[in-house]
Amino acid sequence: MSTKNKKRYAFVIEISKCIDCKACMVGCMAENNVPVAHSRNWVHQKGPNGVYPDLGMSFEPGNCMHCDNPPCERVCPTRATYKREDGIVLVDKDRCIGCKYCMMACPYNARYFDEEKGVVDKCTFCVHRIEAGLDTSCVHTCMTGARTFGDINDPNSDVSKLLAMNEHHVKLSSAGSGPAIFYIY
Amino acid sequence: MAEIIRNFFKALRQITIGDRKYYMWLAFLSFFIFVGLAAYVQQLNRGLIVTAMRDQVSWGLYISNFTFLVGVAAAAVVLVVPAYIYNFKPIKEIAILGEMLATTAVILCILFVMVDMGQPTRIWHLLPFVGAMNFPSSLLAWDVVVLSGYLVINLTIFLYALYKLSLGKEYSLQFIAPLIILSIPWAVGIHTVTAFLYNGLSARPFWNASILAPRFLASAFCSGPAIMLVLFQIIRKVSRIEIEDKAIFKIAELIAYAMCLNLFLFGAEVFKEFYSGSIHLAPMKYLFFGLHGKTSMVPWMWWSVILNITALILFLTPSTRKNFLTLNTACICMLMGIYIEKGMGVVVPGFVPTTLGEIYEYSPTNYEILITMGIWALGAFIYTLMLKFAIPVYTGELRFESKKNKTA
Repeated sequence: MSTKNKKRYAFVIEISKCIDCKACMVGCMAENNVPVAHSRNWVHQKGPNGVYPDLGMSFEPGNCMHCDNPPCERVCPTRATYKREDGIVLVDKDRCIGCKYCMMACPYNARYFDEEKGVVDKCTFCVHRIEAGLDTSCVHTCMTGARTFGDINDPNSDVSKLLAMNEHHVKLSSAGSGPAIFYIY
Repeated sequence: MAEIIRNFFKALRQITIGDRKYYMWLAFLSFFIFVGLAAYVQQLNRGLIVTAMRDQVSWGLYISNFTFLVGVAAAAVVLVVPAYIYNFKPIKEIAILGEMLATTAVILCILFVMVDMGQPTRIWHLLPFVGAMNFPSSLLAWDVVVLSGYLVINLTIFLYALYKLSLGKEYSLQFIAPLIILSIPWAVGIHTVTAFLYNGLSARPFWNASILAPRFLASAFCSGPAIMLVLFQIIRKVSRIEIEDKAIFKIAELIAYAMCLNLFLFGAEVFKEFYSGSIHLAPMKYLFFGLHGKTSMVPWMWWSVILNITALILFLTPSTRKNFLTLNTACICMLMGIYIEKGMGVVVPGFVPTTLGEIYEYSPTNYEILITMGIWALGAFIYTLMLKFAIPVYTGELRFESKKNKTA
Protein backbone atom coordinates (compact mmCIF):
# COMPACT_ATOMS: atom_id res chain seq x y z
CA MET A 1 0.00 0.00 0.00
CA SER A 2 1.43 3.33 -0.95
CA THR A 3 1.10 5.97 1.72
CA LYS A 4 0.49 8.87 -0.64
CA ASN A 5 -2.70 7.34 -2.00
CA LYS A 6 -4.34 5.64 0.96
CA LYS A 7 -6.98 3.09 0.12
CA ARG A 8 -10.29 2.84 1.94
CA TYR A 9 -12.24 -0.24 1.04
CA ALA A 10 -16.02 -0.12 1.26
CA PHE A 11 -19.21 -1.71 0.02
CA VAL A 12 -22.08 -0.04 -1.75
CA ILE A 13 -25.28 -2.09 -1.60
CA GLU A 14 -28.24 -1.35 -3.85
CA ILE A 15 -31.25 -2.55 -1.89
CA SER A 16 -33.55 -2.50 -4.92
CA LYS A 17 -31.42 -5.10 -6.66
CA CYS A 18 -31.42 -7.71 -3.88
CA ILE A 19 -33.76 -10.65 -4.48
CA ASP A 20 -33.00 -12.54 -1.24
CA CYS A 21 -31.39 -15.53 -2.99
CA LYS A 22 -28.75 -15.66 -0.24
CA ALA A 23 -26.01 -16.64 -2.67
CA CYS A 24 -23.72 -14.16 -0.91
CA MET A 25 -24.14 -16.09 2.33
CA VAL A 26 -23.50 -19.44 0.70
CA GLY A 27 -20.53 -18.09 -1.20
CA CYS A 28 -19.02 -16.65 1.98
CA MET A 29 -19.53 -19.80 4.01
CA ALA A 30 -17.81 -21.89 1.33
CA GLU A 31 -14.99 -19.43 0.72
CA ASN A 32 -14.18 -18.74 4.36
CA ASN A 33 -15.03 -22.11 5.85
CA VAL A 34 -17.55 -20.57 8.23
CA PRO A 35 -18.64 -23.01 10.98
CA VAL A 36 -22.13 -24.49 10.82
CA ALA A 37 -24.92 -22.37 12.33
CA HIS A 38 -22.95 -19.16 11.83
CA SER A 39 -22.76 -16.71 8.98
CA ARG A 40 -20.53 -13.73 8.36
CA ASN A 41 -23.12 -11.93 6.26
CA TRP A 42 -26.89 -11.76 6.18
CA VAL A 43 -29.97 -10.68 4.26
CA HIS A 44 -32.64 -8.98 6.39
CA GLN A 45 -36.21 -8.84 5.20
CA LYS A 46 -37.88 -5.42 5.34
CA GLY A 47 -41.64 -5.48 5.16
CA PRO A 48 -44.06 -6.46 3.74
CA ASN A 49 -45.36 -2.90 3.78
CA GLY A 50 -48.63 -1.47 2.54
CA VAL A 51 -52.14 -2.87 2.21
CA TYR A 52 -53.19 -5.65 -0.16
CA PRO A 53 -53.02 -5.54 -3.14
CA ASP A 54 -50.42 -2.76 -2.99
CA LEU A 55 -47.68 -4.51 -1.07
CA GLY A 56 -43.97 -4.02 -1.09
CA MET A 57 -41.03 -5.85 0.41
CA SER A 58 -37.29 -5.27 0.24
CA PHE A 59 -34.16 -7.06 1.33
CA GLU A 60 -31.15 -5.61 3.00
CA PRO A 61 -27.91 -7.57 2.75
CA GLY A 62 -25.10 -6.79 5.14
CA ASN A 63 -21.89 -7.94 6.79
CA CYS A 64 -19.20 -6.43 9.02
CA MET A 65 -19.20 -2.73 8.22
CA HIS A 66 -15.43 -2.33 8.76
CA CYS A 67 -16.08 0.92 10.61
CA ASP A 68 -13.79 3.95 10.60
CA ASN A 69 -14.03 4.15 14.37
CA PRO A 70 -14.61 0.49 15.25
CA PRO A 71 -16.08 -0.01 18.75
CA CYS A 72 -14.90 -3.63 18.64
CA GLU A 73 -11.28 -2.58 18.25
CA ARG A 74 -11.57 -0.06 21.06
CA VAL A 75 -12.91 -2.57 23.59
CA CYS A 76 -10.69 -5.58 22.80
CA PRO A 77 -8.55 -6.21 25.90
CA THR A 78 -5.73 -7.97 24.02
CA ARG A 79 -5.52 -5.98 20.78
CA ALA A 80 -6.70 -9.07 18.89
CA THR A 81 -9.03 -6.90 16.83
CA TYR A 82 -7.15 -4.35 14.77
CA LYS A 83 -7.75 -2.00 11.87
CA ARG A 84 -5.51 -1.97 8.85
CA GLU A 85 -4.34 1.10 6.94
CA ASP A 86 -6.89 0.37 4.21
CA GLY A 87 -9.76 0.33 6.73
CA ILE A 88 -10.18 -3.43 6.97
CA VAL A 89 -10.89 -4.58 10.54
CA LEU A 90 -9.51 -8.03 11.33
CA VAL A 91 -9.31 -10.44 14.27
CA ASP A 92 -5.97 -12.01 15.13
CA LYS A 93 -7.27 -15.41 16.15
CA ASP A 94 -4.09 -16.29 18.01
CA ARG A 95 -4.49 -13.32 20.32
CA CYS A 96 -8.24 -13.62 20.93
CA ILE A 97 -9.04 -14.87 24.43
CA GLY A 98 -12.74 -15.37 23.64
CA CYS A 99 -14.08 -12.83 26.13
CA LYS A 100 -16.79 -11.82 23.62
CA TYR A 101 -16.67 -8.18 24.67
CA CYS A 102 -16.33 -7.09 21.02
CA MET A 103 -19.57 -8.90 20.21
CA MET A 104 -21.36 -6.64 22.69
CA ALA A 105 -19.68 -3.53 21.34
CA CYS A 106 -20.53 -4.20 17.69
CA PRO A 107 -23.58 -2.13 16.70
CA TYR A 108 -24.38 -4.51 13.85
CA ASN A 109 -24.16 -7.92 15.48
CA ALA A 110 -21.63 -8.71 12.78
CA ARG A 111 -19.48 -10.98 14.93
CA TYR A 112 -19.96 -14.59 15.89
CA PHE A 113 -18.36 -16.88 18.40
CA ASP A 114 -16.59 -19.89 16.93
CA GLU A 115 -17.30 -22.46 19.64
CA GLU A 116 -14.84 -24.95 18.26
CA LYS A 117 -11.88 -22.58 18.25
CA GLY A 118 -13.10 -20.64 21.30
CA VAL A 119 -12.55 -17.31 19.56
CA VAL A 120 -14.59 -14.57 17.92
CA ASP A 121 -14.64 -14.29 14.15
CA LYS A 122 -16.23 -12.17 11.44
CA CYS A 123 -16.14 -10.95 7.86
CA THR A 124 -12.63 -10.10 6.61
CA PHE A 125 -13.71 -8.33 3.40
CA CYS A 126 -12.15 -11.49 1.86
CA VAL A 127 -8.75 -9.95 2.44
CA HIS A 128 -7.02 -12.98 0.93
CA ARG A 129 -8.97 -12.49 -2.31
CA ILE A 130 -8.65 -8.74 -2.69
CA GLU A 131 -4.91 -8.97 -2.07
CA ALA A 132 -4.80 -11.40 -4.98
CA GLY A 133 -6.68 -8.88 -7.12
CA LEU A 134 -10.05 -10.67 -6.95
CA ASP A 135 -13.49 -9.48 -5.84
CA THR A 136 -14.83 -10.52 -2.45
CA SER A 137 -16.70 -13.80 -2.47
CA CYS A 138 -20.12 -12.23 -1.82
CA VAL A 139 -19.67 -9.76 -4.66
CA HIS A 140 -18.48 -12.57 -6.90
CA THR A 141 -21.56 -14.74 -6.24
CA CYS A 142 -24.20 -11.99 -6.27
CA MET A 143 -26.33 -12.63 -9.36
CA THR A 144 -27.95 -9.20 -9.57
CA GLY A 145 -24.92 -7.04 -8.84
CA ALA A 146 -26.50 -5.62 -5.70
CA ARG A 147 -23.13 -5.49 -4.00
CA THR A 148 -20.26 -3.33 -5.25
CA PHE A 149 -16.85 -3.36 -3.59
CA GLY A 150 -14.00 -0.94 -4.00
CA ASP A 151 -11.84 1.92 -2.81
CA ILE A 152 -13.87 5.04 -1.92
CA ASN A 153 -10.70 7.14 -1.87
CA ASP A 154 -10.31 6.55 -5.59
CA PRO A 155 -12.80 8.84 -7.39
CA ASN A 156 -12.76 6.61 -10.46
CA SER A 157 -13.79 3.41 -8.66
CA ASP A 158 -17.25 1.92 -9.15
CA VAL A 159 -18.17 2.54 -5.52
CA SER A 160 -17.19 6.21 -5.70
CA LYS A 161 -19.24 6.70 -8.84
CA LEU A 162 -22.30 5.04 -7.28
CA LEU A 163 -21.99 7.19 -4.17
CA ALA A 164 -21.58 10.34 -6.22
CA MET A 165 -24.70 9.68 -8.23
CA ASN A 166 -27.10 8.36 -5.56
CA GLU A 167 -28.46 9.30 -2.20
CA HIS A 168 -26.98 6.86 0.29
CA HIS A 169 -27.33 5.91 3.95
CA VAL A 170 -25.43 3.98 6.57
CA LYS A 171 -27.03 1.79 9.22
CA LEU A 172 -27.30 3.07 12.83
CA SER A 173 -25.27 6.19 12.20
CA SER A 174 -26.26 7.22 15.74
CA ALA A 175 -23.79 4.65 17.06
CA GLY A 176 -21.01 6.85 15.75
CA SER A 177 -18.89 4.04 14.41
CA GLY A 178 -18.56 5.32 10.83
CA PRO A 179 -19.52 2.16 8.95
CA ALA A 180 -18.09 1.51 5.48
CA ILE A 181 -21.17 -0.11 3.96
CA PHE A 182 -23.34 2.40 2.13
CA TYR A 183 -26.93 1.59 1.20
CA ILE A 184 -28.73 2.95 -1.83
CA TYR A 185 -32.51 2.54 -1.71
CA MET B 1 11.97 -13.20 60.48
CA ALA B 2 12.53 -16.78 59.36
CA GLU B 3 11.16 -17.87 62.70
CA ILE B 4 8.05 -15.80 62.22
CA ILE B 5 7.46 -17.32 58.80
CA ARG B 6 7.99 -20.83 60.15
CA ASN B 7 5.60 -20.15 62.98
CA PHE B 8 3.14 -18.65 60.58
CA PHE B 9 3.00 -21.89 58.66
CA LYS B 10 2.69 -23.82 61.89
CA ALA B 11 -0.22 -21.61 62.79
CA LEU B 12 -1.69 -22.15 59.36
CA ARG B 13 -2.21 -25.76 60.36
CA GLN B 14 -5.05 -24.38 62.44
CA ILE B 15 -7.32 -24.46 59.40
CA THR B 16 -7.20 -28.25 59.28
CA ILE B 17 -8.33 -28.64 62.87
CA GLY B 18 -11.96 -28.27 63.69
CA ASP B 19 -15.01 -29.93 65.12
CA ARG B 20 -17.42 -32.20 63.31
CA LYS B 21 -19.64 -29.35 62.13
CA TYR B 22 -16.63 -27.64 60.57
CA TYR B 23 -15.66 -30.73 58.57
CA MET B 24 -19.27 -31.34 57.51
CA TRP B 25 -19.55 -27.78 56.25
CA LEU B 26 -16.32 -28.10 54.26
CA ALA B 27 -17.44 -31.45 52.82
CA PHE B 28 -20.77 -29.92 51.84
CA LEU B 29 -18.99 -27.12 49.98
CA SER B 30 -16.47 -29.50 48.42
CA PHE B 31 -19.30 -31.48 46.89
CA PHE B 32 -20.52 -28.41 44.97
CA ILE B 33 -16.97 -27.42 44.08
CA PHE B 34 -16.32 -30.84 42.52
CA VAL B 35 -19.62 -30.87 40.64
CA GLY B 36 -18.81 -27.41 39.32
CA LEU B 37 -15.32 -28.49 38.39
CA ALA B 38 -16.64 -31.52 36.52
CA ALA B 39 -19.07 -29.30 34.63
CA TYR B 40 -16.23 -26.91 33.81
CA VAL B 41 -14.08 -29.73 32.44
CA GLN B 42 -16.98 -30.60 30.14
CA GLN B 43 -17.25 -26.98 29.10
CA LEU B 44 -13.52 -26.90 28.32
CA ASN B 45 -13.78 -30.05 26.24
CA ARG B 46 -16.89 -29.16 24.30
CA GLY B 47 -16.52 -25.40 24.19
CA LEU B 48 -18.94 -22.66 25.16
CA ILE B 49 -21.62 -24.39 23.08
CA VAL B 50 -22.68 -26.10 26.34
CA THR B 51 -23.78 -22.70 27.61
CA ALA B 52 -26.85 -20.84 26.37
CA MET B 53 -24.76 -17.88 25.27
CA ARG B 54 -25.07 -17.26 21.55
CA ASP B 55 -24.07 -14.59 19.08
CA GLN B 56 -27.07 -12.48 20.06
CA VAL B 57 -26.47 -12.77 23.82
CA SER B 58 -22.75 -13.11 24.26
CA TRP B 59 -22.58 -12.59 28.02
CA GLY B 60 -24.84 -14.39 30.48
CA LEU B 61 -25.04 -15.84 33.95
CA TYR B 62 -21.26 -15.82 34.55
CA ILE B 63 -20.84 -12.11 33.95
CA SER B 64 -24.07 -11.41 35.88
CA ASN B 65 -22.45 -13.01 38.90
CA PHE B 66 -19.24 -11.12 38.20
CA THR B 67 -21.13 -7.82 38.25
CA PHE B 68 -22.89 -8.69 41.50
CA LEU B 69 -19.63 -9.75 43.17
CA VAL B 70 -17.73 -6.64 42.14
CA GLY B 71 -20.41 -4.82 44.07
CA VAL B 72 -19.89 -7.03 47.11
CA ALA B 73 -16.15 -6.42 46.94
CA ALA B 74 -16.58 -2.67 46.62
CA ALA B 75 -18.95 -2.55 49.57
CA ALA B 76 -16.19 -3.46 52.02
CA VAL B 77 -15.52 0.27 52.25
CA VAL B 78 -18.86 0.67 53.98
CA LEU B 79 -17.05 -0.82 56.94
CA VAL B 80 -13.69 0.75 56.29
CA VAL B 81 -14.88 4.34 56.28
CA PRO B 82 -16.62 4.38 59.68
CA ALA B 83 -13.96 2.13 61.15
CA TYR B 84 -10.79 3.98 60.28
CA ILE B 85 -11.80 7.47 59.30
CA TYR B 86 -14.37 8.14 62.02
CA ASN B 87 -12.87 5.62 64.40
CA PHE B 88 -16.29 4.15 65.17
CA LYS B 89 -15.14 1.51 67.62
CA PRO B 90 -17.83 -1.19 67.17
CA ILE B 91 -17.22 -1.33 63.44
CA LYS B 92 -13.45 -0.95 63.64
CA GLU B 93 -13.26 -4.34 65.26
CA ILE B 94 -14.94 -6.04 62.35
CA ALA B 95 -13.51 -4.11 59.42
CA ILE B 96 -11.00 -6.88 58.92
CA LEU B 97 -13.84 -9.36 58.28
CA GLY B 98 -15.13 -7.05 55.56
CA GLU B 99 -11.71 -6.83 53.96
CA MET B 100 -11.48 -10.60 53.85
CA LEU B 101 -14.91 -10.74 52.23
CA ALA B 102 -13.75 -8.21 49.64
CA THR B 103 -10.68 -10.34 48.91
CA THR B 104 -12.83 -13.44 48.46
CA ALA B 105 -15.27 -11.58 46.23
CA VAL B 106 -12.47 -10.36 43.96
CA ILE B 107 -11.14 -13.91 43.64
CA LEU B 108 -14.62 -15.06 42.61
CA CYS B 109 -14.89 -12.21 40.12
CA ILE B 110 -11.69 -13.35 38.43
CA LEU B 111 -12.97 -16.93 38.30
CA PHE B 112 -16.29 -15.87 36.77
CA VAL B 113 -14.45 -14.02 34.02
CA MET B 114 -12.18 -17.01 33.46
CA VAL B 115 -15.06 -19.46 32.96
CA ASP B 116 -16.70 -17.05 30.52
CA MET B 117 -13.68 -17.06 28.22
CA GLY B 118 -13.45 -19.18 25.11
CA GLN B 119 -9.67 -19.47 25.38
CA PRO B 120 -8.81 -19.25 29.10
CA THR B 121 -5.26 -20.50 28.50
CA ARG B 122 -4.51 -17.27 26.67
CA ILE B 123 -5.15 -15.17 29.77
CA TRP B 124 -1.43 -14.31 29.72
CA HIS B 125 -2.19 -11.83 26.93
CA LEU B 126 -3.67 -9.71 29.70
CA LEU B 127 -0.60 -9.78 31.93
CA PRO B 128 1.62 -6.73 32.05
CA PHE B 129 5.02 -7.02 30.27
CA VAL B 130 4.43 -10.57 28.92
CA GLY B 131 1.24 -9.78 27.05
CA ALA B 132 0.15 -6.67 25.20
CA MET B 133 -2.92 -5.54 27.07
CA ASN B 134 -4.94 -2.87 25.28
CA PHE B 135 -4.74 -0.77 28.40
CA PRO B 136 -6.02 2.72 28.18
CA SER B 137 -8.51 1.83 25.47
CA SER B 138 -10.30 -1.31 26.60
CA LEU B 139 -12.48 -1.11 29.70
CA LEU B 140 -11.96 -4.82 30.24
CA ALA B 141 -8.24 -4.14 30.54
CA TRP B 142 -9.06 -1.43 33.08
CA ASP B 143 -11.10 -3.95 34.99
CA VAL B 144 -8.16 -6.34 35.14
CA VAL B 145 -5.92 -3.57 36.47
CA VAL B 146 -8.31 -2.20 39.09
CA LEU B 147 -9.47 -5.59 40.32
CA SER B 148 -5.97 -6.95 40.78
CA GLY B 149 -4.98 -3.70 42.46
CA TYR B 150 -7.93 -3.98 44.83
CA LEU B 151 -6.98 -7.57 45.61
CA VAL B 152 -3.43 -6.53 46.52
CA ILE B 153 -4.60 -3.58 48.65
CA ASN B 154 -7.08 -5.65 50.66
CA LEU B 155 -4.72 -8.56 51.10
CA THR B 156 -2.00 -6.24 52.36
CA ILE B 157 -4.28 -4.46 54.81
CA PHE B 158 -5.72 -7.53 56.44
CA LEU B 159 -2.52 -9.58 56.43
CA TYR B 160 -0.70 -6.70 58.07
CA ALA B 161 -3.44 -6.28 60.63
CA LEU B 162 -3.38 -10.01 61.37
CA TYR B 163 0.40 -9.99 61.67
CA LYS B 164 0.32 -7.17 64.18
CA LEU B 165 -2.48 -8.80 66.13
CA SER B 166 -0.56 -12.05 66.25
CA LEU B 167 2.22 -10.20 68.00
CA GLY B 168 -0.34 -9.14 70.52
CA LYS B 169 -0.08 -5.51 69.48
CA GLU B 170 -2.74 -3.08 68.46
CA TYR B 171 -2.10 -2.45 64.77
CA SER B 172 -0.72 0.99 64.15
CA LEU B 173 -2.39 3.01 61.48
CA GLN B 174 0.82 4.61 60.28
CA PHE B 175 1.75 1.87 57.86
CA ILE B 176 -1.67 1.03 56.50
CA ALA B 177 -3.37 4.41 56.70
CA PRO B 178 -2.37 5.42 53.15
CA LEU B 179 -3.54 2.03 51.88
CA ILE B 180 -6.86 2.32 53.69
CA ILE B 181 -7.44 5.79 52.33
CA LEU B 182 -6.47 4.55 48.86
CA SER B 183 -8.85 1.62 49.16
CA ILE B 184 -11.88 3.92 49.43
CA PRO B 185 -11.68 5.61 46.02
CA TRP B 186 -10.37 2.33 44.64
CA ALA B 187 -13.51 0.49 45.75
CA VAL B 188 -15.67 3.11 44.07
CA GLY B 189 -13.33 2.72 41.10
CA ILE B 190 -13.73 -1.02 40.66
CA HIS B 191 -17.46 -0.71 40.47
CA THR B 192 -17.40 2.35 38.26
CA VAL B 193 -15.08 0.62 35.82
CA THR B 194 -17.38 -2.40 35.81
CA ALA B 195 -20.33 -0.13 35.05
CA PHE B 196 -18.35 1.63 32.32
CA LEU B 197 -17.68 -1.79 30.80
CA TYR B 198 -21.34 -1.81 29.81
CA ASN B 199 -21.80 1.92 29.68
CA GLY B 200 -19.46 2.70 26.81
CA LEU B 201 -21.24 0.71 24.13
CA SER B 202 -23.04 3.18 21.91
CA ALA B 203 -25.39 0.71 20.24
CA ARG B 204 -26.85 -0.75 23.47
CA PRO B 205 -29.27 1.87 24.81
CA PHE B 206 -30.10 0.00 28.02
CA TRP B 207 -26.49 0.27 29.15
CA ASN B 208 -25.62 3.48 27.37
CA ALA B 209 -27.25 5.59 30.11
CA SER B 210 -25.12 7.73 32.43
CA ILE B 211 -27.17 6.57 35.40
CA LEU B 212 -25.68 3.07 35.20
CA ALA B 213 -22.54 3.68 37.30
CA PRO B 214 -24.39 5.47 40.14
CA ARG B 215 -27.01 2.71 40.10
CA PHE B 216 -24.30 0.08 40.34
CA LEU B 217 -22.73 1.81 43.32
CA ALA B 218 -26.03 2.30 45.10
CA SER B 219 -27.03 -1.33 44.73
CA ALA B 220 -23.53 -2.45 45.75
CA PHE B 221 -23.88 -0.59 49.02
CA CYS B 222 -27.09 -2.54 49.63
CA SER B 223 -26.02 -6.04 48.70
CA GLY B 224 -22.47 -6.07 50.11
CA PRO B 225 -23.38 -4.93 53.64
CA ALA B 226 -26.43 -7.21 53.61
CA ILE B 227 -24.12 -10.20 53.08
CA MET B 228 -21.92 -8.92 55.89
CA LEU B 229 -24.83 -8.54 58.30
CA VAL B 230 -25.78 -12.18 57.81
CA LEU B 231 -22.15 -13.30 58.07
CA PHE B 232 -21.52 -11.30 61.25
CA GLN B 233 -24.44 -12.93 63.00
CA ILE B 234 -23.13 -16.36 62.02
CA ILE B 235 -19.57 -15.48 63.03
CA ARG B 236 -20.51 -14.24 66.47
CA LYS B 237 -22.56 -17.35 67.01
CA VAL B 238 -19.88 -19.89 66.05
CA SER B 239 -16.78 -18.08 67.29
CA ARG B 240 -15.61 -16.12 70.26
CA ILE B 241 -15.61 -12.85 68.35
CA GLU B 242 -17.93 -10.36 69.89
CA ILE B 243 -19.78 -8.15 67.50
CA GLU B 244 -21.87 -5.49 69.15
CA ASP B 245 -25.50 -5.07 68.17
CA LYS B 246 -24.67 -1.41 67.77
CA ALA B 247 -22.37 -2.18 64.83
CA ILE B 248 -24.97 -4.34 63.14
CA PHE B 249 -27.71 -1.76 63.51
CA LYS B 250 -25.42 0.98 62.25
CA ILE B 251 -24.72 -1.02 59.08
CA ALA B 252 -28.45 -1.74 58.68
CA GLU B 253 -29.06 2.00 58.82
CA LEU B 254 -26.46 2.57 56.08
CA ILE B 255 -28.18 -0.07 53.95
CA ALA B 256 -31.51 1.73 54.31
CA TYR B 257 -30.00 4.95 52.91
CA ALA B 258 -28.30 3.07 50.08
CA MET B 259 -31.53 1.28 49.20
CA CYS B 260 -33.45 4.56 49.07
CA LEU B 261 -30.87 5.89 46.65
CA ASN B 262 -30.93 2.71 44.61
CA LEU B 263 -34.69 2.74 44.20
CA PHE B 264 -34.65 6.44 43.43
CA LEU B 265 -32.13 5.97 40.62
CA PHE B 266 -34.09 3.01 39.33
CA GLY B 267 -37.26 5.10 39.35
CA ALA B 268 -35.49 7.89 37.47
CA GLU B 269 -34.54 5.40 34.80
CA VAL B 270 -38.04 3.94 34.59
CA PHE B 271 -39.55 7.40 34.26
CA LYS B 272 -37.20 8.49 31.50
CA GLU B 273 -37.75 5.36 29.44
CA PHE B 274 -41.50 5.01 29.80
CA TYR B 275 -42.44 8.70 29.65
CA SER B 276 -40.40 9.53 26.58
CA GLY B 277 -41.35 6.22 25.00
CA SER B 278 -38.55 6.30 22.47
CA ILE B 279 -37.29 3.24 20.63
CA HIS B 280 -34.90 2.72 23.55
CA LEU B 281 -37.83 1.61 25.65
CA ALA B 282 -37.71 -1.88 24.14
CA PRO B 283 -35.21 -3.48 26.60
CA MET B 284 -37.09 -2.03 29.59
CA LYS B 285 -40.37 -3.29 28.17
CA TYR B 286 -38.83 -6.69 27.62
CA LEU B 287 -37.83 -6.83 31.29
CA PHE B 288 -41.15 -5.87 32.83
CA PHE B 289 -43.80 -6.76 30.28
CA GLY B 290 -42.16 -8.96 27.68
CA LEU B 291 -41.62 -8.21 24.03
CA HIS B 292 -43.45 -9.95 21.18
CA GLY B 293 -44.63 -12.68 23.51
CA LYS B 294 -41.15 -13.31 24.91
CA THR B 295 -41.61 -13.00 28.65
CA SER B 296 -39.03 -15.20 30.40
CA MET B 297 -37.55 -12.29 32.40
CA VAL B 298 -40.88 -10.78 33.49
CA PRO B 299 -41.65 -12.80 36.67
CA TRP B 300 -38.04 -12.47 37.84
CA MET B 301 -38.04 -8.72 37.47
CA TRP B 302 -41.34 -8.23 39.31
CA TRP B 303 -40.12 -10.45 42.11
CA SER B 304 -37.00 -8.36 42.31
CA VAL B 305 -39.05 -5.16 42.62
CA ILE B 306 -41.29 -6.68 45.30
CA LEU B 307 -38.32 -8.05 47.26
CA ASN B 308 -36.43 -4.75 47.07
CA ILE B 309 -39.39 -2.71 48.27
CA THR B 310 -40.14 -5.15 51.09
CA ALA B 311 -36.50 -4.96 52.15
CA LEU B 312 -36.53 -1.18 52.01
CA ILE B 313 -39.57 -0.97 54.29
CA LEU B 314 -38.05 -3.41 56.77
CA PHE B 315 -34.72 -1.56 56.82
CA LEU B 316 -36.27 1.88 57.07
CA THR B 317 -38.56 1.15 60.01
CA PRO B 318 -36.41 1.39 63.16
CA SER B 319 -38.41 -1.28 65.00
CA THR B 320 -37.99 -3.91 62.27
CA ARG B 321 -34.38 -2.89 61.71
CA LYS B 322 -33.60 -3.65 65.34
CA ASN B 323 -35.36 -6.98 65.45
CA PHE B 324 -33.11 -9.79 64.25
CA LEU B 325 -35.89 -11.82 62.69
CA THR B 326 -37.13 -8.98 60.48
CA LEU B 327 -33.59 -7.72 59.93
CA ASN B 328 -32.52 -11.07 58.52
CA THR B 329 -35.65 -11.32 56.40
CA ALA B 330 -34.83 -7.91 55.01
CA CYS B 331 -31.24 -8.98 54.26
CA ILE B 332 -32.36 -12.09 52.40
CA CYS B 333 -35.03 -10.17 50.45
CA MET B 334 -32.51 -7.55 49.50
CA LEU B 335 -29.85 -10.03 48.45
CA MET B 336 -32.27 -11.90 46.21
CA GLY B 337 -33.75 -8.70 44.82
CA ILE B 338 -30.40 -7.13 43.99
CA TYR B 339 -28.96 -10.39 42.66
CA ILE B 340 -31.75 -10.49 40.06
CA GLU B 341 -31.78 -6.77 39.40
CA LYS B 342 -28.10 -6.20 38.80
CA GLY B 343 -27.22 -9.66 37.60
CA MET B 344 -29.38 -10.97 34.82
CA GLY B 345 -31.53 -7.83 35.01
CA VAL B 346 -28.62 -5.74 33.79
CA VAL B 347 -26.83 -8.13 31.46
CA VAL B 348 -29.71 -9.64 29.49
CA PRO B 349 -31.68 -6.52 28.45
CA GLY B 350 -28.51 -5.08 26.93
CA PHE B 351 -28.73 -7.85 24.37
CA VAL B 352 -32.49 -8.20 23.99
CA PRO B 353 -33.57 -7.00 21.55
CA THR B 354 -30.31 -6.97 19.62
CA THR B 355 -29.03 -3.84 17.94
CA LEU B 356 -30.82 -4.89 14.76
CA GLY B 357 -34.05 -5.85 16.54
CA GLU B 358 -33.70 -9.62 16.88
CA ILE B 359 -34.97 -11.33 20.05
CA TYR B 360 -33.08 -14.30 21.45
CA GLU B 361 -34.24 -15.40 24.88
CA TYR B 362 -31.36 -16.38 27.09
CA SER B 363 -31.85 -18.83 29.88
CA PRO B 364 -28.78 -20.48 31.42
CA THR B 365 -28.10 -24.17 30.85
CA ASN B 366 -27.45 -26.68 33.62
CA TYR B 367 -23.72 -26.44 32.93
CA GLU B 368 -23.77 -22.73 33.58
CA ILE B 369 -25.79 -23.17 36.76
CA LEU B 370 -23.54 -25.96 38.11
CA ILE B 371 -20.36 -24.03 37.35
CA THR B 372 -21.81 -20.92 38.98
CA MET B 373 -22.77 -22.88 42.09
CA GLY B 374 -19.30 -24.41 42.17
CA ILE B 375 -17.64 -21.02 42.13
CA TRP B 376 -19.90 -19.70 44.90
CA ALA B 377 -19.13 -22.80 46.95
CA LEU B 378 -15.43 -22.22 46.40
CA GLY B 379 -15.89 -18.69 47.64
CA ALA B 380 -17.59 -19.89 50.80
CA PHE B 381 -14.78 -22.43 51.22
CA ILE B 382 -12.06 -19.80 50.92
CA TYR B 383 -13.83 -17.41 53.28
CA THR B 384 -14.34 -20.17 55.83
CA LEU B 385 -10.64 -21.04 55.80
CA MET B 386 -9.70 -17.38 56.12
CA LEU B 387 -11.99 -16.99 59.12
CA LYS B 388 -10.72 -20.21 60.66
CA PHE B 389 -7.25 -18.76 60.62
CA ALA B 390 -8.05 -15.13 61.35
CA ILE B 391 -10.54 -15.46 64.18
CA PRO B 392 -8.23 -17.16 66.73
CA VAL B 393 -5.49 -14.67 65.87
CA TYR B 394 -8.00 -11.93 66.35
CA THR B 395 -9.29 -13.10 69.68
CA GLY B 396 -5.76 -13.78 70.88
CA GLU B 397 -5.98 -17.57 71.04
CA LEU B 398 -3.43 -17.98 68.26
CA ARG B 399 -0.02 -16.37 68.34
CA PHE B 400 2.95 -17.06 66.18
CA GLU B 401 5.66 -14.73 67.27
CA SER B 402 7.63 -16.32 70.09
CA LYS B 403 8.66 -19.69 71.42
CA LYS B 404 6.76 -19.44 74.66
CA ASN B 405 3.40 -19.02 72.99
CA LYS B 406 3.63 -22.20 70.99
CA THR B 407 0.77 -22.57 68.62
CA ALA B 408 -1.44 -25.40 67.62
